[in-house]
Amino acid sequence: MLEVSIFAILALFMLGGSIAMITSKQTVFSAFGFLVTMIGLGGMFALLNSQFLAIAQIMVSVGAVVILSMLTILTVNAKEENLPKEPHKYKWIMFSILLVTPFTILLYKTLIILPDHFSTIGTINAKVVGKLLFSEWVLPFEILSILLLSAMVGAIVIARKKRKRPGKKERRA
Amino acid sequence: MSPNMFYLLASILFSIGLIGLVSRKNLFVLYMSIELMLSSVSLILATLSKVLGNADGSVMGLLIIGIIAAEAAVFLAMIVNLYRAKRTLDSDAFNSLREGAFND
Repeated sequence: MLEVSIFAILALFMLGGSIAMITSKQTVFSAFGFLVTMIGLGGMFALLNSQFLAIAQIMVSVGAVVILSMLTILTVNAKEENLPKEPHKYKWIMFSILLVTPFTILLYKTLIILPDHFSTIGTINAKVVGKLLFSEWVLPFEILSILLLSAMVGAIVIARKKRKRPGKKERRA
Repeated sequence: MSPNMFYLLASILFSIGLIGLVSRKNLFVLYMSIELMLSSVSLILATLSKVLGNADGSVMGLLIIGIIAAEAAVFLAMIVNLYRAKRTLDSDAFNSLREGAFND
């Protein structure tokens, strides 16, 4: 019973945060809604006995990704006239809810084919995850490390200020 | 507590991400919607890890968190670059690859 009430509170937080994320006009409020959703997701992982995943979620998604996006939002500091004009925002949201609802029902009906009871396993802590990660999952882990490296290089190259190259005459002089 | 509650929550979160992706124009909201969809997939994987009784789903969720971090870096750098070029966050303004857009 306690677990169900914890689930209900976390789910309310996540749904409220994500709805605030897609409806608010100011970008910073969207980022706050995203933050609440990510913290709630960390709580869900802890509720599912995935201890290491919960800690990684709090550390990486909340501590790095959301904070980085908030820093970018505050650095870009878009004024009112630079934000997109969306006069029919709620109309579009209602229309896309109509479009997406059958897909949601399909997704849910597909997922509940899976077995409907939890197995009794202990906590999935760092020891279990580490052993699996470096035995069976070592190839995806290495591919992920290459992906992170290339994302880092790509981010630096994209965000760098383009310097004007001196023309040939100037270079000679 | 049954897995169906988690499946329902994950499908609703995925759909909210999809709704935000198709109905908004703000680049940051688009980015956060994509992240929300990825996160709901990792919630499904963590649920499967407890249903099936092994830690494989948890490991896959961990890899997805790494992918989210990589995507955040590239996407935010892209947003900064686009904002520097046109001084707007409107996704409709960036259509210079569209057919016929070179004429204006």
